[in-house]
Amino acid sequence: MESAAVPTPGAAAGTSPPSTPVPSSGEKGLKKNAIGFVSSVVIGVASTAPGYSLAATLGFIAAAVALQSPAILLLAFIPMFLVAAGYYYMNKADPDCGTSFSWVTKAMGPQLGWIAGWTIVVADVIVMANLAQIAGLYTFLLFGWTSAAASTAAVTAVGVLWIAIMTAIVLIGIELSARTQVGLLAAEVLTLAVFAVVALVKVYSGSAPAGSIDPSFSWINPFSLSPSELSAGLLLAVFIYWGWDTTATVNEETEDPGEAPGRATVVSTLILLGIYVIVAVAAQAYAGVDQLVANQEDVLSALGTEVFGSPLDKILIIAVLSSAAASTQTTILPTARTTLSMARANALPKSLGKVHPRFLTPHVSTLAMGAASIVWYVGLTLVSEDILFDSLAALGLMISFYIGLTGFACTIYYRHEILRSVKNFFFVGLGPFIGGVILFYLLIKNGIQLADPANSESGNSWFGLGPPLVIAVFFLVLGFILMAVQWRAVPEFFRKRPEVAPPGFLEGESEPMSGGIASGGES
Amino acid sequence: MGQIVVGYDGSDCSKAALEEAVGLAKSFGDEVVLVFGYAPPGIWGGEIAEHEEAIAEFGERVMADGKRLAEADGVEARVALVPKRGPEALVDVAKERAARMIVVGSQGEAPLKGVIVGSTPYKLLHFSPCPVLVVPAS
Repeated sequence: MESAAVPTPGAAAGTSPPSTPVPSSGEKGLKKNAIGFVSSVVIGVASTAPGYSLAATLGFIAAAVALQSPAILLLAFIPMFLVAAGYYYMNKADPDCGTSFSWVTKAMGPQLGWIAGWTIVVADVIVMANLAQIAGLYTFLLFGWTSAAASTAAVTAVGVLWIAIMTAIVLIGIELSARTQVGLLAAEVLTLAVFAVVALVKVYSGSAPAGSIDPSFSWINPFSLSPSELSAGLLLAVFIYWGWDTTATVNEETEDPGEAPGRATVVSTLILLGIYVIVAVAAQAYAGVDQLVANQEDVLSALGTEVFGSPLDKILIIAVLSSAAASTQTTILPTARTTLSMARANALPKSLGKVHPRFLTPHVSTLAMGAASIVWYVGLTLVSEDILFDSLAALGLMISFYIGLTGFACTIYYRHEILRSVKNFFFVGLGPFIGGVILFYLLIKNGIQLADPANSESGNSWFGLGPPLVIAVFFLVLGFILMAVQWRAVPEFFRKRPEVAPPGFLEGESEPMSGGIASGGES
Repeated sequence: MGQIVVGYDGSDCSKAALEEAVGLAKSFGDEVVLVFGYAPPGIWGGEIAEHEEAIAEFGERVMADGKRLAEADGVEARVALVPKRGPEALVDVAKERAARMIVVGSQGEAPLKGVIVGSTPYKLLHFSPCPVLVVPAS
């Protein structure tokens, strides 16, 4: 448990690469920290934040694909699933949950790795703004204060307060006990399920309002979609599964690791797919597409009021709010860790790699991200609230980019291994690659589509282009500039060479590369 | 030789705790064991291993200082970095070494604030296998 090893003081200060491995028991403590089945499922579902994701996107998906929303939700899962296999195998190479930053750097070199890390951070800053918008709006709706909910200034003020509180929570390291998280998540999922069932019962019993439609199997038929509907819808739906990929990297505690790992992934997937499809079917059966589109900004609260009636409708609002709050732990903290990791690899300024002496959290990273989110949120709201919703499409572009890149990274890193077995070929090579191809196809197809301002949510035109494309390109260019600055200042990280999986690694014939990428600074 | 376990993280109150523990160790003829728990806060995912390493490095640095402080006072000192949260790390080491007592510092926070920011003495008092001495920051 304990060791008398005396680390040399001062050696770790500043210049030298991270010193010795943790002197606890000869190996990194985390490998021992496999977590239980229920916790793994909870992490998978909570990271995806189903309540918030549905509230934020269902209306937009309906606007893009009309009655085919359920089909899109099913289809969008395919690339995510394929790339998740890539996550799983990259996590084996670089154990204990890295991110696209580590993996892409390893497989495809530091420049692409840097851009992948940067994209994670930008996507996170943007999603915080959207999260804050939903949280601000639903906070007022919870108290039935509709006049405030209609005021941009009021919603923005509460949204900023949400970001501040979420940042503080991560900074201090407050966390709910595992049991509380299980309880909250169960309540959220149950609420969504009850909502769907009540809505469907009302539809079939004829007590739903005019405009309701009986569900039809054609709703899950993807073949009636035009290619442009398909790609626009998929881009939005990719966002809805964002976060689920973490599940693939969680080391589940099992009696027989050879037999059962991934059980939690399967269960969390079924829960998510089930919830998304059932809620999408119920919502459009009850209200029809037009009403979903009309209430894009607060679909679930608008529907909840009708389906449940007052005051039970508040439960749905609370479910969305608790889902948004849970994203604090599953979005801000992991991203702050990405910047921490980048800073420790000399890919970002060193100060971002600091941990708070008391709270042990990556406090500089966390604060920087909270501040950036507030600036982005307030700045964008001042320009136009519509643009805030456009940034959802921009988010889809960014998520497709770095998750797709991770899929390619897996195939490239293991390129010498994929012909060793049929399993390797499909799960390590082909699967992640196809997932990456689908996501990059979405990226390019939507990029072209969004070049026409008419195809954006707001219909605004920036420099003759749709705002989502401008947002995405702006951040990409900014990323290149910042990378160049860091490259000039500290070239060390950018001299790293891509690696290849050691031969026979997946068959257990060789050990994983030791250490994270941070320890390889001098190579 | 008896052992006195001290929670140490380089903060002022942990220095006060160490000072007290060193004084007691002298009069008992004990040695002190400085404990630092380095499990990262928050749930899994997103470079958690890097985070853990960053905390452990910080821990190694402050623990070396703490060990020197204790030894300068003429007491034998050991260091334990444990991959758990602070309170659990202290309880584990105390159990394993059948410690005479655990000494921790207190930031002097009001109880509610202590609950929010995760006060170590607050948690420790309920789980400790041995007497706990809480030393306020001077």
